[in-house]
Amino acid sequence: MSSLILLGDEAVARGAIDAGISAAYAYPGTPSTEIFQAIEDEVKARGLAVRGLWSSNEKVALEEGAGVSYCGKRAIVSMKHVGLNVAADPFMNLGVSGVHGGLVIVVADDPGMHSSQNEQDSRCFADFAMVPCLEPADQQQCYNFTREAFELSERFQTPVLLRLVTRLAHSRSQVALAEPRAQNPASYVEDPARFTLIPVNARRAYAKLVAKQPALQAASEESALNPLTLRDDRPGSRPGLLVSGLAWNYLTEAMSEEQLAGFHLLRIGQYPLPMGKIRRLLDASSEVFVIEEGYPCIERLIGGNGLLNGLLGEKRIRGKLNGDLPRVGELGPDDIRRCFGLQVPASLQIPGLAEVLSGRPPSLCDKCPHTDAYAAIKEVLAGLTTADGEPVRVMGDIGCYSLGYLPPHQAIHSCLCMGSSIGMAIGAAHAGMTPSLCVIGDGTFTHTGMQPLLDAVSEDTPITVFILDNSIIAMTGGQPTMATDEEVVNLVAGLGVAREHIRIIEPTVHKMARNVEVIREEIAHPGLSVVVARRACVTYAKEIKLLREVKEQREQRSEGQPGCAGHGVPA
Amino acid sequence: MNYDLVICGVGGQGVLSIAWVIDHAAHEAGLHFKQSEVHGMAQRGGAVSACVRLSDRPVASDLIAQGSASLILSVEPLEALRYTQMLRPDGWIVTDITPMVNIPDYPPGEKLYPVLFSVPHLVVLDATQLAKKAGNLKAQNMVALGAAARLLPFSTESLERWITALFEAKGERIVKANLNAFRKGDAASRFGAALTEAGVPGAMVAQVTSRLQFPPHPLHADLVADWTERLQAADGADFARQLFEAGKAVKPERVAEPTTPVAA
Repeated sequence: MSSLILLGDEAVARGAIDAGISAAYAYPGTPSTEIFQAIEDEVKARGLAVRGLWSSNEKVALEEGAGVSYCGKRAIVSMKHVGLNVAADPFMNLGVSGVHGGLVIVVADDPGMHSSQNEQDSRCFADFAMVPCLEPADQQQCYNFTREAFELSERFQTPVLLRLVTRLAHSRSQVALAEPRAQNPASYVEDPARFTLIPVNARRAYAKLVAKQPALQAASEESALNPLTLRDDRPGSRPGLLVSGLAWNYLTEAMSEEQLAGFHLLRIGQYPLPMGKIRRLLDASSEVFVIEEGYPCIERLIGGNGLLNGLLGEKRIRGKLNGDLPRVGELGPDDIRRCFGLQVPASLQIPGLAEVLSGRPPSLCDKCPHTDAYAAIKEVLAGLTTADGEPVRVMGDIGCYSLGYLPPHQAIHSCLCMGSSIGMAIGAAHAGMTPSLCVIGDGTFTHTGMQPLLDAVSEDTPITVFILDNSIIAMTGGQPTMATDEEVVNLVAGLGVAREHIRIIEPTVHKMARNVEVIREEIAHPGLSVVVARRACVTYAKEIKLLREVKEQREQRSEGQPGCAGHGVPA
Repeated sequence: MNYDLVICGVGGQGVLSIAWVIDHAAHEAGLHFKQSEVHGMAQRGGAVSACVRLSDRPVASDLIAQGSASLILSVEPLEALRYTQMLRPDGWIVTDITPMVNIPDYPPGEKLYPVLFSVPHLVVLDATQLAKKAGNLKAQNMVALGAAARLLPFSTESLERWITALFEAKGERIVKANLNAFRKGDAASRFGAALTEAGVPGAMVAQVTSRLQFPPHPLHADLVADWTERLQAADGADFARQLFEAGKAVKPERVAEPTTPVAA
């Protein structure tokens, strides 16, 4: 078959389709978004019988995937690294229950935090759950490893985590596809006990998970994804390199083949780590450099977290922990060059460059509704202090509107994780902060904002929640939101917020005065109130129109058919 | 053969479309390539870049190492200077002169342009103006690509074929405007190269090409000789500076006097 030009994300998508998935689930998040997007496009273009959904959050997405697996079919679930925190509960427990049909969870980490709030390394999560992890180094491996992950998953009845990083997820190259595999027929799990983790079953299932580890270990030892190259059989003759995933690319960029020949070599693409091969590398080498993108996961493990490093007859381990490589940020070929004392090429020097090179951070789009919402909120806050005389703070959340932290808005004062704004406002109110305000988008509200609002309802916490409803998940490129317009109001009312304290404003310049008045009234209200700032995103106006049409058609179709599923084949 | 380039600009300026054309031209030429790009946060009016690495052997790193890029291809003059750490000392910068001012501390022209014009291997042109003349203001990215065409390891025909493929779905008019834009960029760049070859200093060439309204195509030796003579006269530097500072479009058919620039 001829090769295609694909992003790492797209190569995973094609790998999943060719591995015979029956379903795909995801919640958008940079740099993972294009995985589901590519599956959706391909399914639509070729009319494939693959179901799928932009789920309301990552936990739900993984549970949906688990249901597919329970019925013997294959599913892929994709998310960004912090999304796995949201899905941690089903993820950890799927390790225990095991899977039936192949289940692959692809997680895109973001070293360097290009679009994220931390650098957490999903390999640690796989280790925590005692499930295998595959780590591709290039786009072709993205395709191959995805297919391999499904085989492993079914062979060992375990979920498999596929770990990408930004620089692979968002990099294109040529990928050759292989023959596609047919989907699995439905075959419901024979022993429901292992999916029913009440203690009596869970104890048995957990023991089975632990007992499964030597077999996973053996698979890693035999795996072609973990090649070991010993240059000679004289122990300690030369240093060793232990290199995982994408770091391989930077290493081979920085070193010539001749330079590499001066090292014993172990490449890692499959976890759990092949401890036998690592033992052989350590024995053969004078010292070992560990090169990995993300946390020093391998380095900590094999060096006993520093305890065995050069002690008790063990070899010296070098890498991120001893400072040979940077501990934070994204790796690159220049880091490898510096680590090995290789020359870093000179670059063009331009006199006076530093004086003119102003930064260009992202900002809200021209005519963005959030700008007007923030202007109105700030207008009200300008004349207010807290009960104890402090400036009023506004708890923020994750989305385009996180940019409200930056000048010229400077309207929010926190951004912790998805859905955190309402809970933090409740806590701040309990701590005595009056008034206590928070801002959340429509997408984030249905992701993980509804539960904290239920908390606030339960005791009528005196907070004011602003829901910025722009009808789309804009930050990640315009994915459908679960609820907008009246749906948001109905959700809020359904959770128990009093109708008279659900206020709708239209954030525009000419309605500013009216909006300020509404906000002032609701802040003054001594209980819970919700202000919905409703105006569609200007950047994704076309997508919003399309989504509305699709929704209307679906509503018309399902009239008189109460059993009709809300979402079908991805549209 | 190894050829690394950085394509850059501001969100919405079509940086990734340039990358798409180059990727496909590379694929067609049987080259290996990797092309990494910035998504997400940066789309919101922030700096956007794509790193393209071309080679006749498999490409290892998705990132360009320091001092390794042969070319920075930019759709905006400030962005053209942002990635110079990756540029080889003998590398080229090709850029539009039109500033995109969406930040409060955008450097004033009298500070920015002298720094830009001091780059030894430089092609600078008014891609925005030329795109407008080509029939589509949004085609400024294709003007910039055209200006870089003579430096890229592909034939112009191959690049034009992929520009056509990129815009095919949008109809013939859009395809034509983008091809026109590409050709205007190419012509302006070749005119500048001819002046450089004739011995005109780089900064003066940059000042002149930044104001060309209709790049001469095909290139006439007489025209180049006229301009070379004018720019190499005793007051040539002042002439080029005035031409640039007048800020108006100039027809290259004959040597224009800065006092009588042709209206845009």
